[in-house]
Amino acid sequence: MPQIPIIMPQLGESIAEASIVRMLAAPGETVRADQEVLEVETNKATLNVVAPCRGQLARWTVELNESYPVGAVLGYLEATAEDVQAFGLTEAPTAPSDPADFTAGDAAEPPEPPPTRVQPTVRGLPVPAHAGGASYMSPRLKARMAELGLHAADLAGVAGSGAGGRVTIQDFEAFIAALDRHKQTPASSMRVAVADAMRRSWSRPLATVGTPVALDRLLEHRLTCQPKPGPALYALRALAIALSENSAPAGRLVGRKIVHPSSIDIGFAVEADDGVLVPVLREVDRRPLAELVGLYANLVDLARQRRLPADATGAAIGVVTNFGTFGLTWATPIPLPEQTLVLGLGAGRKAPVWDEAAGKFLPVIEAQLTLSFDHRVLDGGAAGRLLARVADLMNRPGNL
Amino acid sequence: MGANGMSVTYLEAIREAQARALAADPRVFVYGQDVGAFGGAFKATKNLAAEHPGRVLDAPISEDAMVGLAVGCAMEGLRPIIEMQFADFSLVGFNQIVNQAATLYWRTGQPCPLVIRLPSGGTVGSGPFHSQSLESIYAHYPGLVVLTPATVEDAYSMLLEAVALDDPVIFCEHKLLYYHLKAERLPDAALPVGKARISREGRDATVVSYSAMVHEALAAAEELAGEGTQIEVVDLRSVKPLDTDTVMASVARTGRLLCVGEGWPWGGVTAEVVARVVGEGLDLLDAPPLRLNARNTPVPFHPHLWAAHRPTARAIATALRKLLRL
Repeated sequence: MPQIPIIMPQLGESIAEASIVRMLAAPGETVRADQEVLEVETNKATLNVVAPCRGQLARWTVELNESYPVGAVLGYLEATAEDVQAFGLTEAPTAPSDPADFTAGDAAEPPEPPPTRVQPTVRGLPVPAHAGGASYMSPRLKARMAELGLHAADLAGVAGSGAGGRVTIQDFEAFIAALDRHKQTPASSMRVAVADAMRRSWSRPLATVGTPVALDRLLEHRLTCQPKPGPALYALRALAIALSENSAPAGRLVGRKIVHPSSIDIGFAVEADDGVLVPVLREVDRRPLAELVGLYANLVDLARQRRLPADATGAAIGVVTNFGTFGLTWATPIPLPEQTLVLGLGAGRKAPVWDEAAGKFLPVIEAQLTLSFDHRVLDGGAAGRLLARVADLMNRPGNL
Repeated sequence: MGANGMSVTYLEAIREAQARALAADPRVFVYGQDVGAFGGAFKATKNLAAEHPGRVLDAPISEDAMVGLAVGCAMEGLRPIIEMQFADFSLVGFNQIVNQAATLYWRTGQPCPLVIRLPSGGTVGSGPFHSQSLESIYAHYPGLVVLTPATVEDAYSMLLEAVALDDPVIFCEHKLLYYHLKAERLPDAALPVGKARISREGRDATVVSYSAMVHEALAAAEELAGEGTQIEVVDLRSVKPLDTDTVMASVARTGRLLCVGEGWPWGGVTAEVVARVVGEGLDLLDAPPLRLNARNTPVPFHPHLWAAHRPTARAIATALRKLLRL
């Protein structure tokens, strides 16, 4: 009786192999066509392998809990020659075919091949999806872009005509030629620097969470201080304390390691002509708010004069940005490329908040506090807990 | 030459070049099996023995002895032209060619002006021992010049230049072109050896080829012209020296390269061209460079198998369509 191989089917587009979980039929057992005979597990789901036709299970050639590639022979089924023919299956090779059958160039028409059922198209490891498509840049394209000082992001608007939609050199030259029809002005070096930082940062999966924070106590506390700290500085100090309690959310993922911050240094965004500067306050967790106020004001001044000292730039673990100064209530700022977090503060507005004790709405000055983060490092829960802790600290401004 | 000078074949051009070399220089002689009264296996030396008595000599059936004798004659100041009946048979004289002729100048400072004519390449039904393309094997050796003419004019002018060169020259003449390829007349002027030719201009992709494959590439380019693409065809003419500049300039125009050779795929001229373009001109390439060679088996006898074994215009067109889609 012909022996039919039972083959690991293509279980999904990106599945290359599956491990054997359970045999659902034992050797000697008679099975129907399409009867589930084997349970396998991929990295996505548990699936069943079915018998290619009816017959008697001859033997398994696989071990439990071992992994086998798509196309591998898992076992053999003894089936009648009629069934093999009817299902259009390939018999396991027993003897080499007769070389005398080979009559190349013979004028006679070759016999009509028997009708075949759909066969698994993959007989070995499938070729993994390669890095083709729009992201592929040829050496020539890279060289040409380097010559013109362009980045991949500059090509975002070009519909490629190459394989998988890649941008060919012809597409590129046509794009460059078309630009000449438009008015062009040089971008400032500040603009280019911001563009570079944002482009690099955007290579990561970024997410944003937000929560409202009441500012009433903070604003009251502010009036008692001289000089007066801005709301963003309260947020900055609160973030520093929260991170000093648990610095993991500000860690950076590099390869398979989280790199933890060595010092709670936090920057703050200052709008400058055609861009943003980020002065950095050092060891903010160890400096009370009163000490920070003067430093903060001084750095803002220096930043606006573009005279920031070297030790007041770079190497921060996070940034606070007060987009509320633009009248905005909500935004999704992008963390700097070497950082995981950016804390945003929206504009304060008087809002009705239900007071359970009083049984009525009370007016509260409320602002939206946002946290944008590298989703590789932390998830919504951790980001939410950090943000709640920051909001909590801002509600007790006396401790800052 | 054909009657009234109206038409001359590739084979006749080779005969005429030898006739002219014999007439022009008393140091030249032709030596090979049956090249005398018989006129050569392919009639490339027809009537030469009668026209130049004592200078067109039949050799014994020993390629080893033939090349050895020719190297000795070259050392003594003569300029021999050796005819191998088939390129394949030159391997019997391989030792004399690569160990003696190729190294002579480098060992002794004495030139070795010697031309070895190799009737090369496949023709219908020639099988494994009468079809080989050995240009890559010989090009591997320092000291040898390897010429692969694709046109009647080049067969004539390059053979004359080969005789004039002081280095040993492997002259690969393609048997498939012998009778069918014709020109109106023999040329008066020619490109120098070592310079490639742009056989057809195009802007979308470059096909680099040589010998009979140039004609397959031109046919493929014609076919693709009907699909709106312009293929540039480079005829290397000489595989050693290899005109990298012309190839690189063409790839700079088109950004895409397909290199076609009738030899086997492992290493060889096509691999050398790709290696040079990738090494010196990676930034010129907008797509991976492709190669198309014969299949990696001995050359088959059956016409159907042979047609499937060697690159054809159809196979080149298919490869080009793939290249243009990348």
